[in-house]
Amino acid sequence: MLKVEARDYEEYSRVIVTFPSTFPVSLDKNGNFLQVVITTPTAFRLKTQPLRSRFIKSFIWNTSSGTYLLLIEAQHSRFRYESFSIDKKRQLVIDFYTEAEGQTTVPSHTEEKAPPEPAESVEKPPAEAMPAPLPKLAQPAAKGVKVIVIDPGHGGLESGAKGKFGTLEKDVTLAISLKLKALIEKNLAYHVELTRDKDVDISLADRAAIANNQKAELFISLHANSSLRRNAQGSETFFLSLNATDEEARRLAYLENTSAQFEKPIEEKDQDQIMMILWDMAQSAYLKQSQRLAEIIQEELNVLLGTANRGIKQARFKVLEGVACPAVLVEVAFISNPEEERDLVKDEFQNSVVQGIYRGLVTYVKLAF
Amino acid sequence: MNKKGWIILGLSVIVLVALAFVFYQGQGREEIRPAAEEAPSARSLEPEQPLETRMITVFFLSDEDSLFHAELRRIGTSPSVVQEAQRVVEELIKGSEKGLISPLPPETKLRQLFITRSGVAYVDFSKELAEKHPSGSSAEIATIYSIVNSLTYNFKSIKKVFILVEGGEKETLGGHISLSQAFGPRYSLSVD
Repeated sequence: MLKVEARDYEEYSRVIVTFPSTFPVSLDKNGNFLQVVITTPTAFRLKTQPLRSRFIKSFIWNTSSGTYLLLIEAQHSRFRYESFSIDKKRQLVIDFYTEAEGQTTVPSHTEEKAPPEPAESVEKPPAEAMPAPLPKLAQPAAKGVKVIVIDPGHGGLESGAKGKFGTLEKDVTLAISLKLKALIEKNLAYHVELTRDKDVDISLADRAAIANNQKAELFISLHANSSLRRNAQGSETFFLSLNATDEEARRLAYLENTSAQFEKPIEEKDQDQIMMILWDMAQSAYLKQSQRLAEIIQEELNVLLGTANRGIKQARFKVLEGVACPAVLVEVAFISNPEEERDLVKDEFQNSVVQGIYRGLVTYVKLAF
Repeated sequence: MNKKGWIILGLSVIVLVALAFVFYQGQGREEIRPAAEEAPSARSLEPEQPLETRMITVFFLSDEDSLFHAELRRIGTSPSVVQEAQRVVEELIKGSEKGLISPLPPETKLRQLFITRSGVAYVDFSKELAEKHPSGSSAEIATIYSIVNSLTYNFKSIKKVFILVEGGEKETLGGHISLSQAFGPRYSLSVD
């Protein structure tokens, strides 16, 4: 039996199509209609749940040899949709966002596709809009171009740490990020997406969301450190740490969830929770690579900045938790150290930092690909 | 009134007197208890303290090296671990008496503390812990672990510490280190 139902949520209207088995499906927007083409030679009973939605007007089933066509009629054509499948592709979920809603809301964690699922289980939304919190920044890269996401720490009302001379962490991170983006794009075949290119507030979760939305190859978060100890100095590259016992438990849970051995379809109310769990653990699948990236970048920074080799460190950085790709956080210097604070605003120093990270990136990419 | 009436009246009076007596006794008992449960934040360490005190250890930072340094302090004992733990946190907030670096903003107040059976101490601070925090990975790590180490070191029943701000979970203190899980102690941590 093929079943379709609709449910309204605050920010979107959701349509769920349930299949008895996995079939190839394609989606096509045509004016007011979203066309779902299901290819299957078998004949099925069709079931349409009573429709009570503010945005979905009707469901129309058609069938011709080898395919079922489901036409979802919306109230008007000004919408975009996001779709993903769950439960071994036996349920197709399509969320309809009307254009007005899409602008103001940020896709929450629960609406993200599960990080481990690669592209095949997610239909690309139409060209009109990417599901991004900042439409201007999140232009999808040209097809085939790999993306690196660089995250200038803090921003807007959140200025981060402050130096004795008044230097703000958020300004330093932005300046360095812009330089790094320019250098990478000039020399490497990557598109660099910044989580912000202005002095604005972005939540930690949104930064990770941008990396995941862009299907980034790498994520680098830039910060300036601050210590309670005046003498603290130097640069350090971190990757995420999970508690030893927690890490094992999470890895197991993570693997179990993605092996998709569900016996029955996940209930609607549980889907959001599972998405949330996967989000929190997203980075745990990439820790080895993150560690490698951190080591390589730190080596280069040590050489260029002449800092003592302190090795890399792990810490529970909130921003790294939800990132589903190799991710590191670079503390370029201590803004709490007056000498380093003065360096941080100098072009020369910023360029050295950028060179160091860039070289580390080049080495990592060579080894990884 | 006939004889029966008098008997009933008499019995009622006896019953009433007996009940009044029972309630009166009960009143006395209930009054004693609240005093012992009184929030310690309402009470500071005064010289004329309970007769029994004990030494506890709080951890601060030094400019000389990047390790946690122990400072001994005297607090009043209590049959309640929660109360003693609260006093330890208050000593930490007061800051070092030996010129070491105090990792909590001095305006911070301890709002609540409770300990679960599985050994997790939930420590609830006022908003100043985050608002007045200088921010920075190192600074945040220093603050977190001085709290955690100071509690786990002194109390066997505390194995991990969960930090709350204004009664709820906060993402981070200054935008860096995630507070969404309980922390275990790290006594030999090197804090830059």
